[in-house]
Amino acid sequence: MGPRYLARKVIQTIVTIVFVLILNFLLFRMMPGGPEGILLRNPHITAETKAAARARWGLDKPLIPDQLVDYVEATAAGDLGFSYKFRGTPVIEVIGARFWPTIILIGLAELIAIVVGLALGAQAGWKRGGTLDRVGNGASLILYSMPYFVIGMPLIIIFAAELGWFPTSGMLTPGAHYDSFLDQLLDFLHHLVLPLATVSLGLIGGYSILMRSSIIDTRSEDYVTTARAKGLTDRTVLRAHAFPNALLPTVTVIAINLGYVVAGAITAEIVFSWPGLGTLTYDALQTRDYPLLQGIFLLISVAVIVANLGADLLYGRLDPRVRTA
Amino acid sequence: MSASAAQIDVRGERWRLRVRNARSFGRTFLGRTDGVVGLAILAVFVVLALFPDLFVGKLETATTASGQALEPPSAAHILGTDDLGRDMLNLTVHGARISMTIGFLATLITVLLGAVVGIVSGFIGGWLDTGLMRLTDFFLILPTFVLAILLAPIILDTIGADAEILGIKATLVVIVVVIGITSWASTARVIRSQTLSARERMFVDRARVIGSGSGHIMRRHILPNVTNLIVANTVLTFAAAIFTETTLAFIGLGDPFQPSWGELLNAAETSGAPGLGAWWYIVPPATCVVLVILAFTLVGNALDDVMNPKGADRR
Amino acid sequence: MRLSMPARLARFAMATGLVLSVGAPAAAPVAAADDKVLRIGVLQDLDSTNPYGTILGVGYEAYQLTYEKLVGFGQNIEPIPAFASSWSRSEDGKSWVFKIDPNKKWSDGTPATSADACFSWQLDLDAQKTGDSVGAGYIDYALGPNGSRVTKVECPDPQTMIIYTDDASNRVLQTYIPILPKHIWGKMNYKQIGDDKFDPPDDGSGLVGSGPYLAVEWKTGEEIRFKRNPNYDGHKGVEDEIVFRFFKTNESLVQALKAAEIDYAHNISPEQFKALKGEPNIQVVNGVLNGWTELGFNTYGTGTGKTIKGGGPSTKALLDPAFRDALGYAIDKQKLIDSVIGGLGEIGTTQIPPAMPGVPGHPTWHTEPTNIRTFNIDLAKQKLDAANYGLDSSGRRLDHEGKPISLSLVMPDSDANYAKAGQFITDWFAQLGIKVSPQVLDSDTLYARMLPPEGGKEGKADYDLFIWDWSWGPDPNDALDVFRCDEVGVSSDSLYCNPDYDKLYDQQLVAQTPEERQAILDQMQQMFYDQAPYHILYYNDNLDAYRTDRFGGWQNQPANGVPFMGGFDTWGETQLTDVVVAPSPTAAPSGQAPASGGPSTGGSNPPASGGTGTETSSGGIPVLPIAVVIVVVVVVAGFLAMRRNAARTADDDEDE
Repeated sequence: MGPRYLARKVIQTIVTIVFVLILNFLLFRMMPGGPEGILLRNPHITAETKAAARARWGLDKPLIPDQLVDYVEATAAGDLGFSYKFRGTPVIEVIGARFWPTIILIGLAELIAIVVGLALGAQAGWKRGGTLDRVGNGASLILYSMPYFVIGMPLIIIFAAELGWFPTSGMLTPGAHYDSFLDQLLDFLHHLVLPLATVSLGLIGGYSILMRSSIIDTRSEDYVTTARAKGLTDRTVLRAHAFPNALLPTVTVIAINLGYVVAGAITAEIVFSWPGLGTLTYDALQTRDYPLLQGIFLLISVAVIVANLGADLLYGRLDPRVRTA
Repeated sequence: MSASAAQIDVRGERWRLRVRNARSFGRTFLGRTDGVVGLAILAVFVVLALFPDLFVGKLETATTASGQALEPPSAAHILGTDDLGRDMLNLTVHGARISMTIGFLATLITVLLGAVVGIVSGFIGGWLDTGLMRLTDFFLILPTFVLAILLAPIILDTIGADAEILGIKATLVVIVVVIGITSWASTARVIRSQTLSARERMFVDRARVIGSGSGHIMRRHILPNVTNLIVANTVLTFAAAIFTETTLAFIGLGDPFQPSWGELLNAAETSGAPGLGAWWYIVPPATCVVLVILAFTLVGNALDDVMNPKGADRR
Repeated sequence: MRLSMPARLARFAMATGLVLSVGAPAAAPVAAADDKVLRIGVLQDLDSTNPYGTILGVGYEAYQLTYEKLVGFGQNIEPIPAFASSWSRSEDGKSWVFKIDPNKKWSDGTPATSADACFSWQLDLDAQKTGDSVGAGYIDYALGPNGSRVTKVECPDPQTMIIYTDDASNRVLQTYIPILPKHIWGKMNYKQIGDDKFDPPDDGSGLVGSGPYLAVEWKTGEEIRFKRNPNYDGHKGVEDEIVFRFFKTNESLVQALKAAEIDYAHNISPEQFKALKGEPNIQVVNGVLNGWTELGFNTYGTGTGKTIKGGGPSTKALLDPAFRDALGYAIDKQKLIDSVIGGLGEIGTTQIPPAMPGVPGHPTWHTEPTNIRTFNIDLAKQKLDAANYGLDSSGRRLDHEGKPISLSLVMPDSDANYAKAGQFITDWFAQLGIKVSPQVLDSDTLYARMLPPEGGKEGKADYDLFIWDWSWGPDPNDALDVFRCDEVGVSSDSLYCNPDYDKLYDQQLVAQTPEERQAILDQMQQMFYDQAPYHILYYNDNLDAYRTDRFGGWQNQPANGVPFMGGFDTWGETQLTDVVVAPSPTAAPSGQAPASGGPSTGGSNPPASGGTGTETSSGGIPVLPIAVVIVVVVVVAGFLAMRRNAARTADDDEDE
C-alpha cells in the first residue's frame, strides 16, 4: 500500500474532523436558551444577573470569529468546557468516568457477535436453503428487526424479575463492600450478563445476515468453482477460499460499526441503567447539558472517523484491487 | 423511414419490453416465499394504517377511554387497556397510521435526497463528486440521537410549533426531517456506486457521442439502471425509519400526543408496566414494530435478489 | 490553559480511571463488610455535591447530610437545634442571638465555632449586596427583601452569632444556608464557592462537615456514598453508611426495591404504589407534598395594558377573569386525580398548599375559598355566553374581537403526567368550542419560550396555557410571590399583575403576629381563587416505598409526609433503628446529646482549592485484566486473519 494512498486518507480524515468541530460549535450555539440557561431555570434570577453571567462566561463576544477560535483552541488543548448539569466538573472528566463501562459492554458484545454471527452466517449461506439456513436466517432477521430495548425488556422480566437469576439493573450492587478484588469482579460479571446478552443478540442478527449474503455472493465466484473442481472438500473451500473473501465487505462494515461502539447502545444501557456513555447521553439529552452533548458528539464523531480510516486502510491492505495510489 | 416514425417505433418497442420485464419480474418475485410473506404482512399494516376507523373506530382519548386503567385482556378489551383506560387494540391500530406515516415521509425525503445526490455526484464526477462525497461522509458519521435532539428545537422554531404541514403536526414533521437528514447519506453512497458502474457501460458513451446533454443522459440512461437499486434501498430505508422512530420515541424524543408504537412503548416503560406484569401494554406495539421491520427487510432482500441475481452463473 | 499532548493524554487516562482503579475500589474505606448500609433509590441524577450548585431535590437531601444549617427542622417542621444549640430573639425583634456549643467539632476534629457560621452566612450576604447570586442562586435570595431581610451578621465570640434583621417573622430560622468549615473554604469568595466542585477527597475521609453523614464518593450517574460522621452531636441513626442510587426508570427503581437491592424507593408511580401494597416486607407511604400541579394562563397585560409584538397571549380573553373562571368549570379535577395520579392527591384550590407547615401554634396557612367550582360543562358554556364569548356557526367560541379562540398549551417533558392531564384538558375545552393545541417541550426550550420581554430582550412569552408544577419551602412568601407584578420577568409565568394583590402581599410581609398574617392571607387566597391566574389542578402526594426487613424506626417528616426526600431536612435518616425495634409513632427528637467528641479521623484534609482535576473513577471495575484479554483476542484474531490471507495468496499462485 503506497505512502501516497495512506497520506491522502489521513489528510481527508483530518479535514473531516475539522468540519465536525465547526459543526459542533455552530449547532450548540444555535440552541434556544443559550449556555446561561442554567441560571434561566432559577425563578429568582433577574435579567441583570443573567446578563452578568453571560459576560463572565465570555458569551457576549461575537460568535465568529472570537468564540469559534476560543472553542477550537480549547478543544485542541483537550479542554471541552464544563458540564451544565454537573456544575464545576469538566466535561472530559464526566465522559472519562463513563467511558470504560461502555467499552467493556459493547466491546465484548461485538466480539461475541463477530465470532458467532460470522460463523453462523457463513454456515447458513454456504448451505443455502438448508435447515440451519432457514432457522438461523429467520432468527437473525427477527433479531435484526428488534431494537435493543425490545430484546432487553423481556430478558429482564424473565431472568431478573421472575427467576431472580440476575440483577435487574446497574453495574455493581448498590453500596456494596468487597472483601477482595475477586468478589468485585464476580459481582461485576454477574451484572454484565443480561446487558451483554441483549447487545450481543442484537448484533448477531445483523452480522449473520451480512455474512450470509456475502458468502452467497462469493460462492458464485470463479475461483470457488475452480477450487471445488480441484476436488477440495467443501469445508476447506469454505474456510480457505470463500470465507476470507466474503470477509472483505463484512470487515468494512464491522470496522465502521466499531466506531459507533463509543456511542453505546443507548436504549440497551437505559433499560439496564448501565452507567456508560449511552446513559450519559440520555441524561445529557434530558437536561440539555450542551457542553456535555458537544463533548460526546465530538468523541463519537472522531471515533467513527478514525474507524472509517481504519476500515479503508484495512480494505486497502486486504484487497489488492482497491489501491489507487 | 422518417426520423419521427423510427422514434415512435422505438418507444413502442421500449414499452413492450418494459411490460415483459415487469411480468417476468413479478413472477420471479412472487415465487419467493420471503418476499411474499413480507408483502402480505405489509399489506395488512398498510390497510390498517389507511383505514383505522373502519376496524376499531375512532382513536380513544383520555376522556373517551372505554375501560379502567391497566385491565388485562378480556372479552371487552382483547388486548387489555393502557394506564388511562384506553383500549390497547384501538391504540395499536391507530399507532400503525402514525408510525407508517412517519416512516413513509422520512423514506421519501431520504430516497429523494440520496438518489439525487448519488446520481449527480456519480455521473458528473470531478470536484463536485469529491465535494458531495465529503458531505456524505460527514452526514454518515453524525450520531442520530444526538443530532435529533439538537435539530428538534431548531426546526420547531423555524416552522412554528403549532403549524401543520399537509395535515401532519409540526412535532411529527420534526422527526421526519431528522430521520431524513441522518439517513440520506448511506442511500447516496450506494446509488453513487451503482451510477459509477452504469456510467461505464457502452451505450452511455454512444449517447454522449451523439451529443445528448448530461441531464438527459442522467434521466434516460442512468436512472433506469439504478432504479432497481433505489427501489430495494427504499424498502430497507423504510425499515430503518420505523426502527429509528420507535427508538427516538422510546427515549422520549417523540410527541406524547401522537400515539405511535414507539410512544406506546415509552408510556409502558414510564408507567412501570413490565414490573406490574402488564405485558399487554408492551407486547402489541413491540410485535407490530418487529413485524413491520421484518416485513420490509424480507421484501427488500427479495427485491434485491431478484433484481441482482446471484447463486447462478453470470456468464 | 494549554496542555501538552502527553499531559492531555494523562489527564484523560486519569479521568477514565485506567491508571488508578486497577483492582481496589476507588475510595478505600475502613468500613468492615458487616457495616449497615442504607440504600436509597431515586429517579433524579445528582448534578452536584455543591450546596450552591445543585438544583435538584436529591442534591438538597445530599448536602444536608454533610452540612448542617444553623437551625434544623424537626418532625413537624418545627425549628430544632442543628449547628446552633439555642437561640433567642431581642426585645425589639430586630436581632437574633444564636449560641453554639463549645464542644462542637467538625468531622476532622477541628472545633466548630461561630466563625464558621458567620463565614457561611456572609457569603450569601455578599452576593445579595451586589445583586449577584451564589452558584445557582436558590439559597441566598432567602436573605433578601421577600425573605428574612437580613442586614448584618456578627460573631463577637466563638460561641455567639448575632443576626440583624428587620423582618417580624421567624423566617431566619428556616434558612437553608449550609454551615461550611471556614478552615477549608475560608479563602474563597462567594463566586468561587458557587462554581467549585466540592469533590470528596480521594483518601475516603469524606467531605468535612458537621452533619450526620459525610459524602465520601460520588460516581456520577450511579451513586453517591456517605459514611457516618463520628463527631455528629445529634440523634444517631443505626446505619453506618448511606448510599443514594440513581435510577433511570420507575421500572428499574421498583424492581430493585423488590429484589432487596435497595431499601427505599422515592417517587414511584401511582400504579406501582397500588401494586406494592400487598408485598411482604414492603411498606408504601403516600405523604403530602408541599406543592401542586397547575394549569396556568398567560395573562400578560393584566394591570399594565402592555402587549408584546409577535408574542404574548393569543387572545385578550385570557386577560379576562370571567373567561378563566368559566373554563374552571370545564375541569374535572377529581377525574384528573383518579386517572392521572391514581387517586393519590387532593383537589387544588389556593396557592398555599394545605401541606405547607405553619409555625408553632399555627399549624397551617391554607384556607379553603368560598364558591368552589364544580365540574359542569353546561355551566361553563353558560358562563362563557354570559361573558359574551359566544359560538359562531361552526361551533367555535369567539372572543370579544370576533376571532375564534385557539389556545396553545405547553408543558415540560419532565413528567409524563403533564401530557396525560393535557389530554383531558384538550378534550374538555374542545367541548366548549375552544381548540387547544398541546405540546411537550424540554425545560430549557420551555423556559426560553415563556420568557417575557422583562426577562430578557428576546423574550416573547409566546404561549397561552401551560401545565407545570411548583414545590415550596416552609414559608408562604414564595408561593404568594409568584403572582406579583414585580415578578414578571423573574419567577412569574402567569405574567399576572394586580396592584391590590401586591398591596396585600406587602402588608402580610410585615404582619406582627401569625393571626394578623393569616387574616391577610385569607384575602389573598380568595382573590387568587376568584381571579384564577392558575387553576391549581391538584396537590399531588409524595409516593414512596421502603423495605421493613432491614431497618426500623421509620418516621415521616412531617408526620403526614414521607421519611426521606420530603424536602425539608435529613431528619428521617437520623431516626432509623434496627428492625427488631418497633417504630414509635410519636418520637420527636429532644435536644441532642452534647458532642461526644470521639477520636478524630485525623489525617490531613487537602484544602480543596477549587476544581482540581481529580478523577471520578469508574469505581474500580477491573479494567486492566479485561482490557488485556480483549487486546490479546484481537491480536490473535488479526494474526489468524493474516495467515489465512497468506494461505489464500499462496493458493492463488498455485492456480495460476
